Amino acid sequence: MTMDHDFSKPQKQSASGIIIMFANTLQKVIRAAALPVLFIFIKSGGQHTWAMVSGSIALILILAVFAYIRYVKFTFFLDEDKQEFIINKGVFSRTTLTIQLNKIQQVNINQSLLQQMIGVYSLDIDTAGSDKKEASIKAVDHTTATLLRQKLLSRDTSTTESGQLAASEAESVMPPFLKLSNFTLLKVGITSNYGASIALLTGFIFGLFELIKDYNSAFEIEENQLSQAFNRGFSVFSLCFLLIAALVLILGTNIIRTFIKYFDFKIIKQKRALAVSSGLFTKHNTLLKPDKVQLSAYSQNYFQKKLGMLNIKVKQASYSSADEEDEKKSAVEIPGCDETERDEILKMIFDHIPAKGKPLLPNYRFLFLRIMLCIILPLLAVFLLGSFFLTVIKPHFVLAVPYVFIVVTLLYFEYKHHRLYTNDNFVIKRSGIWDIEHEIIEPHKIQAITAKQYFWHKKADVGHLTIHTAAGVIHFKYGNYTHIKNLVNYWIYKVESSKKDWM
Amino acid sequence: MQEFTNDPIDIEALPNYEQAQLKTLHPKYWNVVMIHIGIFLFLLAAGIAALVVFNSEAKQHIILFSALYIVLAVLLIALNRADISRRGFAVRDKDIIYRNGVIALTTTIVPFSRIQHIALHEGLFARMFGLAALNIFTAGGSSGSLHIPGIEIGEARRIKEMLMKQITKTEE
Repeated sequence: MTMDHDFSKPQKQSASGIIIMFANTLQKVIRAAALPVLFIFIKSGGQHTWAMVSGSIALILILAVFAYIRYVKFTFFLDEDKQEFIINKGVFSRTTLTIQLNKIQQVNINQSLLQQMIGVYSLDIDTAGSDKKEASIKAVDHTTATLLRQKLLSRDTSTTESGQLAASEAESVMPPFLKLSNFTLLKVGITSNYGASIALLTGFIFGLFELIKDYNSAFEIEENQLSQAFNRGFSVFSLCFLLIAALVLILGTNIIRTFIKYFDFKIIKQKRALAVSSGLFTKHNTLLKPDKVQLSAYSQNYFQKKLGMLNIKVKQASYSSADEEDEKKSAVEIPGCDETERDEILKMIFDHIPAKGKPLLPNYRFLFLRIMLCIILPLLAVFLLGSFFLTVIKPHFVLAVPYVFIVVTLLYFEYKHHRLYTNDNFVIKRSGIWDIEHEIIEPHKIQAITAKQYFWHKKADVGHLTIHTAAGVIHFKYGNYTHIKNLVNYWIYKVESSKKDWM
Repeated sequence: MQEFTNDPIDIEALPNYEQAQLKTLHPKYWNVVMIHIGIFLFLLAAGIAALVVFNSEAKQHIILFSALYIVLAVLLIALNRADISRRGFAVRDKDIIYRNGVIALTTTIVPFSRIQHIALHEGLFARMFGLAALNIFTAGGSSGSLHIPGIEIGEARRIKEMLMKQITKTEE
């Protein structure tokens, strides 16, 4: 151990951090200056090559000195009395970043390819709240990283105890509680991310239509029987080829993406936390604290069900994610686990396996608006357009039949899967068409509740419910409004009477 | 788990948010909204007038334009009128309720213990009528936060003070 682990005094990063700093600055400079320099080089016709080379060397030297000063000026320390973590940095202008420990949501230890070669880690501190600040330390050794993380996250436990605890954690290699084999990753890659795949496939289908059109025109012209037959054979062959190529391409990218993200995926159980690590090039290491979890979800599609596996997503509080639909940044994903492992993880988070309570079913009106938007309106538009303006598409009106059939089937499944299960301790929402997702929250994690009713639903006693959490919203639509209002009263009572804090 | 009790709860006996007496927005807020509508309609009228004066083709449709303009003006005023008359808020012992919406009546409830911070906003026209807006933020992002306009400024300040006290109380 080369570094002093008394965080109350200002500390520097690992000495090899200079290399990281240098690489970072160099990257920025190259990105900014590459094009102009190239332009000048071409303009001058390569006459001043020597001047260019010596200039570059000088620049690199300056950057190296700059990196060294940045390294010297970058210090961090923990103010235990004020419960603050303070980072001082900057060469020309000094910046002091003060982070209150109770605002810290997550501390991640990551390692890029370069950091892996040097053997240092970066520590990224994620804070929640409207005062959005991001802090990261680019180069520390493993012991410092784990120790510091433990200290940053343990604001309630006494510091000496947690310090020893972290030290023992850093030294001893505990057997992982969950480890994904390459075979599992392969299965995950094949069965998930169909959204992106379908988008790619539609592109291919449009390509196919083009081909069919070519084929039709070739048929009508009736030039040469031989070349026609050749054409037909060729296009059928190329059609099949294209289809197979598309499938291989989609599955290939899926598998590669899965491997880059989840290679060597491990979960290690620690005292009151789960350490999740994965990554092929960049190693990600996240510590998951159960009491910080806002929303947990697991999803499974038909293939995954047959293979007996599902994907888990655990979301922690994040101000940006509460607004945006994609909560990728604050979500920890655990792919490819089976049901026992899922129950084990949920038990870690919630203390017991969340039971599905009484289901709340949506009204059949759920389908009305969707049928209107996805079937009636587009078809009407196409029919009108085809009858009066674009008569070319008239012969293809028959395609409306399979379209309606497919969309109705999809909508039916969406309706069928839309459920809200509630009991005293959990709210579970099921939704999805192909990937069936269960989102789980505990009532005391609720931030606000909205109940909404359109005036034409008043008589039918149908309404909508929105539960706002710090990690996104849960919607339940077209439910029995009397029931929803009772639930709202109950959850508000639960939030206000419970002593449990949401974070 | 020492104090754990699990008595059955009578859902019917729980405080019902629908029974809370909602306070409507201050009547003067209508003036503020009318000023906003007036400015919008004036700009629109100026635009149409410019079009009619400089474009001879548009001149022929002057009656159509004015008819559409009047329909839009009436619709805007009627919708805003309905919107404002439906808005209301209530401060209960432990939470704040806000209701709004014309075609869909939306009620949002924010418990005091979940409020992150509160902002008092005085718009230019609102200030002329002694009104202010209360912005109540939670960790649930913008969808889980409240924006209540048209509160008399003194009352808005009182509510803000009271909420601030409640927040610090729950944090202890």
